[in-house]
Order: sequence, then structure tokens, then C-alpha cells
Amino acid sequence: MKKTLLLTIVTTLLFGISCTKKDVSNERTLNLTVSSKVKGMDPIYSNDRYSSNEVARVFEGLLEYHYLKRPYTLVPNLAEDMPTVSKDGLTYTFKIKKGVLFHDDPAFPNGKGRELVADDFVYSIKRLADPKLQGLGWWLLDGKIKGLNEWRSKYAELDAVDYNEEVDGLKATDRYTLEFKLTKPFPQFLYSLAMPFTFAVAKEVVTKYGQELLNHPVGTGPFILPRFEQSNKITYTRNKNFREKKYPCEASEELKVKGLLEDCGKKLPLVDKIVVNILIEDQPRWLNFQKGKVDFVAVPKDNFDTAIPDAKNLSPEFKAKGFELLISPSLDVTYTAFNHDLELFKKNKALRQAMSLAFNINDANKLFYNNTALPAQSVIPPGIAGYIENFESPYRGTGKAADLAKAKELLAKAGYPNGKGLPEITYDCPASTVSRQIGEYFRKQMAQIGVNIKVIQNPWPELQKKITNRTVQTYGIAWGADYPDAENFLQLLYGPNRAPGANGSGYDNAEFNRLFKTASVMQNSPERTALYEKLYRIAAEEVPWIYGVHRQSYTLKHAWLKNFVSTDFEAGRASYLNVDLKQKAEAKKKL
Amino acid sequence: MNIYTYIMRRLLYVIPVLLGVCAIVFVLFNLVSPDPTLIMLGKHASVKQMAELRAELGLDRPMLEQYFDIVKSAFTFDFGRSWTTKQEISEMIKAGAIPSLTVTLPAFVFSTILSIAISLLVAFYRGKAIDKVVVFACVALMSISSLAYILFGQYVFAFKLGLFEISGYDAGFPYFIPYVLLPILIIVIISVGPDVRFYRTVVLDEVYQDYVRTARAKGLGEKKILFKHVLKNALIPIITFVVIRIPFLILGALLIESFFSIPGLGGITLNAINSSDFPVIRAMTVLSAVAYIIFTVITDVLYTLVDPRVRLS
Repeated sequence: MKKTLLLTIVTTLLFGISCTKKDVSNERTLNLTVSSKVKGMDPIYSNDRYSSNEVARVFEGLLEYHYLKRPYTLVPNLAEDMPTVSKDGLTYTFKIKKGVLFHDDPAFPNGKGRELVADDFVYSIKRLADPKLQGLGWWLLDGKIKGLNEWRSKYAELDAVDYNEEVDGLKATDRYTLEFKLTKPFPQFLYSLAMPFTFAVAKEVVTKYGQELLNHPVGTGPFILPRFEQSNKITYTRNKNFREKKYPCEASEELKVKGLLEDCGKKLPLVDKIVVNILIEDQPRWLNFQKGKVDFVAVPKDNFDTAIPDAKNLSPEFKAKGFELLISPSLDVTYTAFNHDLELFKKNKALRQAMSLAFNINDANKLFYNNTALPAQSVIPPGIAGYIENFESPYRGTGKAADLAKAKELLAKAGYPNGKGLPEITYDCPASTVSRQIGEYFRKQMAQIGVNIKVIQNPWPELQKKITNRTVQTYGIAWGADYPDAENFLQLLYGPNRAPGANGSGYDNAEFNRLFKTASVMQNSPERTALYEKLYRIAAEEVPWIYGVHRQSYTLKHAWLKNFVSTDFEAGRASYLNVDLKQKAEAKKKL
Repeated sequence: MNIYTYIMRRLLYVIPVLLGVCAIVFVLFNLVSPDPTLIMLGKHASVKQMAELRAELGLDRPMLEQYFDIVKSAFTFDFGRSWTTKQEISEMIKAGAIPSLTVTLPAFVFSTILSIAISLLVAFYRGKAIDKVVVFACVALMSISSLAYILFGQYVFAFKLGLFEISGYDAGFPYFIPYVLLPILIIVIISVGPDVRFYRTVVLDEVYQDYVRTARAKGLGEKKILFKHVLKNALIPIITFVVIRIPFLILGALLIESFFSIPGLGGITLNAINSSDFPVIRAMTVLSAVAYIIFTVITDVLYTLVDPRVRLS
């Protein structure tokens, strides 16, 4: 009896071990990983990069970023061409592509996906504005499309929303023509149309699935997901009815040299299947990559020195395994914000400048970013118009004795010689280990000039609440670009945007506000860039924040993964990626 | 008292307990928890949209009305949808419970059997070298952080030696087995230290009782005394210890699920707490309370089965 039981257990275990589902087909499969749970597949709720990347595999928008052009350039996706814009900059007219089909789904007659029409965009954008749905991307369109805010306000009071009621600024003028009328010139409007919030959904699908839409994604995109389940894995298959969309044949000079045009003219998508593995922790992500179960991975901080010992080149051991390293700057900025509601900071520019000079950014870069980040001089990151190459802020602390001397001088000028009379200042940060370490570093740096800092850690929601309620004094945070325009960064210092808007520090400078207001409605032009640069200089001189760094992304990929480029806007990237199956089979033998 | 009457009476205690749980959850949510609208809207939150969202979520209604909503959902088990993922909570729980149980249940069964067996063994050799070695080993096992076991196990056994899958989970039998073996092994190692110490104390409390001396005087062998008499008498504290832990198995093992990418309830609960997803927090709390009460009743009933002297009243 005992022997039988033991035998049964052992047999079950061995059977189980041999039961891993193996990919035995000859399919080209992308094995990707994300570090967070994916919320769902409804475009209007895709407000984090993880959800928006997943949404963009199934759904599509009017525009997208050219895959191989830098600086980032918008190109038509479901639009036939870029829009015609009226002289006053208020009316945008799009022609949409003909013959684009939604995925097959029981929501359509006979289960066959119907053709996409201009009305689908009118419907999808109204969904984003629907007060009952509370779409998380409403901020994109709030106050921008003529009549849309009124439509939203009207139905907020009523029980049901009427999508048939016409909105003056959002019309399908014929089956394939879409017209937007804006309330005021807003050139950044086009970026909205490349963001998953505004991607096309079909009314029939929404009607059929209702609130369950987020589990039944039906778009026009290159991949199909029959049903979304909140699990540890999402598996997409290629959309066999996907339209004739081709891999680009032109690229920016820096991308041409990397052999990224080998698939020029090939029909997209280039792979048959995508498996997205949700791996929240760094270690399993890193180990799975090394075993070849994941095609690319961001190098975890704890493994950085092993993988990239000199912060520039991959270790010989990893090179031998066929790994490749890609380094690219991110459109972001880290910073320590002052609460400008407090008289202490609001009226005392010298104090802010002194604290900024006392903060040694070079050592911070070594300690927290493996010396890979670029010290920020002001608010705009490199890679977008408005950033001034080689600009050095006079208040950027670099650890030199002269910086400290000047910081002490400024502190005395501020009325606090050697910190005397200055109360203890709190520094709030998120609850992660690295954030606490950055907080401790900040405390130590400020102690050099006699400024006492108390570090307070908060769970992320609590920190957000404190910033909104203005109960912080200083706090450490970062901002990543929503779209590649300096306006997206400068708005963080625009007075009327104060918290709970994007301007968490509450900085309010009349001259800055005036220039920003002018620049934000200008079309991309040398004049607008000049204004952006002026704002950049004001932000450096005024030190509304202590600037941190612009981070760089370090990605390791397997050589079998083709056409991979680093990007700040990953939505839609998967359809351009390719897998060399032969190379993969060879490489996996070494892993 | 009839056992069924007893069970019914005890189950009626669910009502006041649930009312209390709802009140505590409600008060904590309103006093301590950050504004969920701020979290949901993220970095682009505006005062107007926060107010609209609060209205849509029903957070602008009178407090009493909101409390009754919670009570209603607790008694009907209709928890609605998650605020952050918009998923049906009952579906989330159904989907998460099985993966959690495929790890925690076998780990619990194995660690309990192993721990009881080891404690009987060391009780048999009490005071001797083997007893001391086991006690020392238990303390040593308990002194190491569970994170260390996870990191080491994953790196050495899965990555270096290739004995197990590094992480992942395939739903359905037998596909999940390769993925849960290492997590189960790690949980067993983590649990065995404190469990053996507890069971050893329980068994040792019994071995000095009069009936053991009587059994020895009658000439019964040590094995028979231990397995037939001592174990039976030690069952009451063992049952209490074991049964009360069962409800928590459903809630999953947070760190293990996170590192091994197992889509269980542990991760769902943690995400809900981090995002102030009140409906999910409420559902998990209510379910835990109900499960706890049910298993307490089961414990009481089991007492009467293992020890006829225990009467239900």
C-alpha cells in the first residue's frame, strides 16, 4: 500500500515535470515580458504603458510614430494621409483608409469583421468623453474639441448618454472623412491620435460586450486576442486579415547602419504569435532572458555591473552567448520639487539655488544609475526641440568645492547663513529601497551646507495624495513623456496647472506662464523652438526644482530578435519585430 | 446540543461578525486610504475629473448609504467590479483561487505531514543527538528570510541546475505541475522549521502524561505508544493549528506568487491595496472573515470527533 502510494506520487511528479506545454511548431513567436499586471484591453482605460502596449497590439489609431525615424515623427496609420489643417489651425480633416476590417467576432453579422469607417472614430472618441465611462485619457481632449465638453457635461446629469447627438467639432462628413474642429489652436492635438486612448472600437462590439469589452478586444490591429484574462500570460495570434501594411524602407541615418532595413517592404506583422509573460520581479525576468525564454529585457539594476561592467559595453561572457546591448536616452526627467505654496521656497530663489548647488548630481548618477544617466540642466530632456545642447546651468551641483562655496554664499544671501534659522525640511519619496536611498543621499548632500532634511517614505498613492493636498515640503519624483513635445514637460511648471494638475510643485511665474501660453498654441516652427529654449533657460535659472537626471534605457536582446529599436513610444512596435528561427535554434543550444 | 443546531448557531455568528468587518473596512477606507480617484486618474488628475469620478463611483453619497452598500454586497456576495481593472470581482477570485491553491494546498499538506512525522521522531529520541540536531536545524531554517530561499532556489535549482521551471504557470492539470514544484518545495522548507517546533512541543506535552506511563507499564512498544496513543491525544492542538490555517491558503502566498509569476489571489490583493481598489479589498476581507468563521466551526466539530469528552454547547 505504502509502496503504491509512493509510486503514485513519484509518477505524478515525473508526469507533471514532462508536461510543460512546449512550442513545437515552426511559428515565429515573440516572447515578451512586462513587469506589471495588465489592467484590461479597453483603449479608454489604457493609462499606463503596460496596458497601452497591449491595447496597441489589437487596436489602431489614425496616426502612429514612424518606426525608424528620430526625432519621433508622426505618420498616418489608419489615416490615408496626414490631415489637412485649416489656416487658422482649428480644423483638421482626415481621410481614412478604405477596406480596413475589424477582427472577426460574433458581435458582427455572420461573425465577419466589417469595414472601418469614419464614424467609428467619432464613436470611439465620444466613448473617451462619455461621463458615465470616465475614460482615463479624457485629459487629452478636455477643452480642446468644439462642443465635446458641453456634450460630456450635458450627459453627466442624465441617466443615459446619446452617442447620436452631434458634436460640432467631431464629425464624419462622409464614410471615409473625419473632421475635428478645435476650440483653440493646439498643435499637440495630433499626438493624441497616436495614443491608444483614441484608437478605434466598433459600436457593435461595445453593444454586445458592454462592460466586458475590456476582456473582448476587437480592433483592426495586426494581432488577435480572442479573450483577455487577468493571468500571468497573454497570447496573441497574427491577424490573417490584416491590411497591406509594409515594413518601412526609410530610416534615420543612425538607424540605417544597424541593418534595420532588411525587412523593407515586407507585409506586417512579421511574426505569427506574441506571448507576453507577466514577470513582476527582476530575478525571474533576468533568468528567463538568459535561458532564452524572453527575447529582450531591460537590464535590472542589481545585475548591471555583471552585464555591463564599464557601463558602455556588454561583458565578454554575455557577448559570447549572443546577447546584444542597446543604449538609448529616455524622454524623461527626475527631480526634487519644492512646494511653492510655502513662503520659504516661493519667495526665496537663493535658497532653492543653494540647495541645487549643494546636490552633487555626478555622485548620484554613479550611485543610483550606474553612471549611465545624463545630468539634467533644466526641465526638457534631449531628443526634442527646446533642449539646449551643451547648456550648463550655473546652479547644477557637481560636487566641486566651488559649488559648495557658492551654495553657502547663496544660503547666507537667502537669510540662513550655514543653515542657521532654517527649519528642518521634509523630503517625501516613494516607499521603494532606491527611493529611500536617494532620500538619504539628498539628506547627506544638504547637510554639507547646514540644511537639515527629514526623509519620509510613502506608499505611492499616499505620496500622490500628499502632493495633491500640498502637505509636502520637498519630494522626489520623475516625469516621462506622454508625447515627444517640450510642451509636455514645460506644462509641469505652468502656474494654472497646479496640483491636482500636472504642476505638483505649484510653481507660478508670470513670465514663464505668459511665454508658455504663447508657445503651447504655436505650430512646430523655429519661433516656437526659440520660445521653448527661453522657457528652458528660465527653468534653469529659477530652479523651481532640483533637477536630477535624464535616464537612459539599457536593453539586452538576443541576436535572433530582429528589427528591435529602443523607443519611448512602444505601442505598435511588436508588428515590426521579427525572429530568426534558425539563429534562435542555434543560439539556444549555448544557453 | 445537536451538532446541526450547534453548527447553525455558530454560522449565525457570521451576521454580527460581517457587520463588524464591514464597519471596520469602511472606516479604514474612508479615514486612512488615499483618494482612489487620484490613483485611478494618475498624473493627469484634475479637480473636476476627480469630482466626476467620485460621483461615478458613488463616493459622494451619504456615508450611511455607502455603508449599507458594503453590507449588502457582503451578504449577497455580489462584489461588483474592480475600480482599477473594471473586472468582475467574482471572476477575479475564481480565476485566482485555483492557482493559489495549487501551490499552497500541496505545500501545506506536505509540510504538515513532514513536520508531524519529524516531531514524532524527535519526541521518540527526545534529548538525544538527533533531537538536538533537528531543533537546531529548525531554528536555523526559521532564521533565514523567505526571500533568500526564493532567490536561492530560483537561481540554483531552476536556472543553474535546470531541475524546475524558473517561473510561469499553465492552467489545467497536469500543465501547472512543473511550475508549482519549486514554489511548493520552498514553502515546505520555510514552514517546516516553525511547524516542527510547535508539533514537537505538543507531542512532548503528551509523552509525560500518565496514560503514556501506563501504556509503557503494560509493555506496549514506543512506536505504538507514539502513533496510536500520543498522536491521537495531541490531535486537538494539531487540529486547531492546522484547520485555522486553511482559509489563508486560498489567499495565496504573496512573495512566492510574485517571484514565480503564479496568477493567484495574493497578487490580486496586493494590487488592490496598492491602488486603493476598495471593492476588491472589501471582497477579500469579507471572504477571509467568512472562511475564518466556517473553519472555526469545522475545528470545533472535529474536536468532538477526535475526543468524545468534548461537548458542543
